[in-house]
Amino acid sequence: MRFSLNFLKEFLKVDIKTDKLVSLLTMAGLEVEHFEAVGSDWVFDVEITSNRYDWLSILGIAREAAASLGKEIEVKYPKVTKTPLLKTRTIKIESLKDCPTYVARVIRGIKVSPSDTTLKERVVNCNINAINNVVDITNYCMLKWGNPLHAFDEDKIEGDIYIRRARQGEKFIGIDEKERELCPENLVIADDKKVIALAGVMGAKNTEVTESTKHILLEAAIFSPIVVRHSRRAAGLDTDSSYRFERQVFAGYLEYASSEAANLILEKCKGAFYGYAFSGKAILIKDKNLTLKLKELNEYLGIEVPKSKVKGILSSLGFKVKESGKGALSISIPAFRLDVNELVDIYEEISRIYGYDKIEPQIPQIARPLAKNEIYDFKNKIRNYLVQLGLKEIITYSMESDEALKALGYDNVIKIVNPLRKQENALRPTLLLGMIEAITYNLNRMRQGMRFFELANVYGRDKDGFCESPALSIGVAEEEGGFFYVKGALLELLKNSNITEFSFEEKSLVSFTNALELFINNKYAGFIGKLDNETADKFNLKKDLFFAQLDVNILQSESKFKVYSPISQYPAIWRDISIALHKNKKFSDVLKVINEKKEFISDYQIVDTYKGKDLPEDFAAFSLRIFYQSAERTLLSEEVDKIHNDIRKRLEQTEGIKLR
Amino acid sequence: MDAEVRRLEEELQADLQKANTAEDIEALRVKYLGRKAVINQLFAKVPSLSGEEKGKWGKNLNLLKNKITSAIEEKIKGLGSAEDKIDLSFPAKKFDKGSTHIVSVVSQEICSVFEKLGFTVVEGTEIENEWHNFSALNIPLDHPSRDAFDTFYLDIPQKNAQNGKFLLRSHTSPSQARVMNIIKPPLAVVSPGRVYRPDQVDASHSFMFHQVEGFAISEDINFAQLKGVLLNFVRLFFAPDTDLRFRPHFFPFTEPSAEVDISCFICKGKKEKCSLCKGKGWIEILGCGMIHPKVLKNCNIDPKKYRGFAFGMGVERPAMLKYGINDIRLFYENDVKFLEQF
Ligand SMILES: [Zn+2]
Repeated sequence: MRFSLNFLKEFLKVDIKTDKLVSLLTMAGLEVEHFEAVGSDWVFDVEITSNRYDWLSILGIAREAAASLGKEIEVKYPKVTKTPLLKTRTIKIESLKDCPTYVARVIRGIKVSPSDTTLKERVVNCNINAINNVVDITNYCMLKWGNPLHAFDEDKIEGDIYIRRARQGEKFIGIDEKERELCPENLVIADDKKVIALAGVMGAKNTEVTESTKHILLEAAIFSPIVVRHSRRAAGLDTDSSYRFERQVFAGYLEYASSEAANLILEKCKGAFYGYAFSGKAILIKDKNLTLKLKELNEYLGIEVPKSKVKGILSSLGFKVKESGKGALSISIPAFRLDVNELVDIYEEISRIYGYDKIEPQIPQIARPLAKNEIYDFKNKIRNYLVQLGLKEIITYSMESDEALKALGYDNVIKIVNPLRKQENALRPTLLLGMIEAITYNLNRMRQGMRFFELANVYGRDKDGFCESPALSIGVAEEEGGFFYVKGALLELLKNSNITEFSFEEKSLVSFTNALELFINNKYAGFIGKLDNETADKFNLKKDLFFAQLDVNILQSESKFKVYSPISQYPAIWRDISIALHKNKKFSDVLKVINEKKEFISDYQIVDTYKGKDLPEDFAAFSLRIFYQSAERTLLSEEVDKIHNDIRKRLEQTEGIKLR
Repeated sequence: MDAEVRRLEEELQADLQKANTAEDIEALRVKYLGRKAVINQLFAKVPSLSGEEKGKWGKNLNLLKNKITSAIEEKIKGLGSAEDKIDLSFPAKKFDKGSTHIVSVVSQEICSVFEKLGFTVVEGTEIENEWHNFSALNIPLDHPSRDAFDTFYLDIPQKNAQNGKFLLRSHTSPSQARVMNIIKPPLAVVSPGRVYRPDQVDASHSFMFHQVEGFAISEDINFAQLKGVLLNFVRLFFAPDTDLRFRPHFFPFTEPSAEVDISCFICKGKKEKCSLCKGKGWIEILGCGMIHPKVLKNCNIDPKKYRGFAFGMGVERPAMLKYGINDIRLFYENDVKFLEQF
């Protein structure tokens, strides 16, 4: 909202510099975002929090400024005229829930013309266009008291006035000249024939006050905040009027706003008061009462505010304060503070005017540390470990398009009812697409070193409605031996979590070739695979992607505390075997034969691989180096030879394995 | 002999002066100690000398040879050995290192500051319902105070009227309600994670971002302690001389509430033409307050017995402030050139 200093001065003598006032208001919670001099006036843009409907009026801001300055405001209440009663029309409210109170004042024989300079300056400096004296006066009074008003050209109202819900499809052309089709969510003001205003939001073009208007009907009303909110949303509008009604307006100032406007119109536009009409519930203003204990206040805030200070602050804000026994105050909350209901609200009033800056920082004693959040710590551990292995962490969006997910075989994904964009309209059950996007982004920029991982939740439906669980993805592109890089990373991760009971099983997976599934203690824990060419093409991925996704909950629940394993003090001896393997056999078959007896075998590695003409057809060859070591003694060359030759013999006897 | 030795010594001194490279010294070595060296020619003359002279010159020449040898060695030491001599201006090795995403770094950093004060990390869930995201936190479903929390709704069938529709949490505050329902006070918790709001993506908005929520509840928590805890945080996270300012504000779930500004760590509050604080001297970083008694009650904690404070902050914003990152989209593009900087 924008307000001006000269307007403020109608309620309060301000004798401090503008920047000082700005900082006082800001530090009291009325944040001034911008201020500047305009002619002889100063204008301020303030951020009004949604609870302070009262700050949407100059009166409310003046009251706040007064409290900050330690002063009192001076309010000149206008003369309220309620006679004669209007006899020519009746006001009919369909539902008191939608509109509890409606007041009309009719003035006849006026002359509409441009406003005088002062009036113009008041509204323009508060960011409202000057239109003509009648409209400017209604806006001036809205700004001053916080109650939106509307003036109709009375000649154009046909018959009685109805406050009712719009009929489906009813047409409305506002003073913005746009035509809108209404629905029962809209509350309207209508006459016998037509809609003349969108209640609390905007008047209709058909009854707009113009230079030729002679008679006016001045509306002041209370509309339901929720109804106005829904109505203006349905109409796609947000006006100075609806903004105030949505946040509630104070019924106690309704007659003041209306009367001041009527009085000003009589003064500036001439004419004569013709009639007053009232419909709805009588306005009852009641102050709320609370007892405040000084000790409790000070314990809550952690400071010592003297009683005299408490009394001074509250009275300057319009609260009535009385002593009520030792260390207690009886407080009556002014009716215009609809936002103050409980003691904590009063604590805030006191502390913000006293000054948050006077609160000295303390450090609490946190009495009881809770049980650790294991999954959080475990994720951090995985993250740090993968970084150590040389992978880069990425963060990608949790939403993907349902079509892209469908292409990967995910059918029943959770969808977003109100997506921002089509490409993010579903919650992802896999981290694969995010990985593809990150890799593609980098390939397009000729980047290198795409060895990525992501830790994020995946989402799906289950019998309870939905599930959400943490997952880990690893993806590499442009890596030689990419599959074994990812497999190696997984093995390192398992080792780091001291998970020993696991197995890999070859599996054919949708969208992947060469896939392995990982089982930990016979529980499915994830998979590794190479994205197949068809899928890669579908997502415009130009390189091979090796990808793994793991269930972090399983990893965490199966992980064990690390235990030191003693290091042998005796030398290891190695022997090489050159093996040719038929294509129907796997390296794991070789390993199985070797591991039939595990005597002293401490490690093995592939030292060489080759394919050549001298190999039999359908065979591939490699050299395997086996390490032998004892924890208790130095092995003798002869005993190693014996074990090694035994292995050779067993291998030789296996079909599909030839030694060279 | 005498003259020849003197000449040799003079020549050596001059040559030593001139020798600047390993090659020069190698040439020197060949010239003075090699097979054809002058000193060898002098040695060759010794046998033909007379008895006394023979002994004297034999000894002198040996001394001279040692002197030459050590002078050359000395020179070599001064230059570094010929083997070590490489082009040191060559480009250094590039390491292909792993990296933690800066959002994780900052989120962990924030949490660990509070963990040191005795807070425990508890993560909430991203799929939430209206009760936990709004109502329990005293945010009415139909009120302008909800406008700050535009929300993605999900097509998961609703289960009961109280919990309302399913949605993606629009802040980490629902963790408060989740934790309070399970754990009885005293408690102190920080809760980091992803949050979602339907904001059009631009340099400072993203429909997905990260937050950290923190709260503590006990019989004697007060507003001044909230200030202390946050002052401790900003000094550890930003800089030890950071100042903090509480500015009254409104949040439905706290009362009193405050927005927290820190003194600008670029201009140190001097304000003039500062691009970071725009001349204000202060930068807004988080919101906080004393937990509203209605929230405590909604979470089955007796507000007459217990009090609490709560605070919530973004992760991207402090990361951007601290590391001078000017566009929030950089966090989610995952450009290697961005990732490897942290
Ligand atoms: Zn600055």
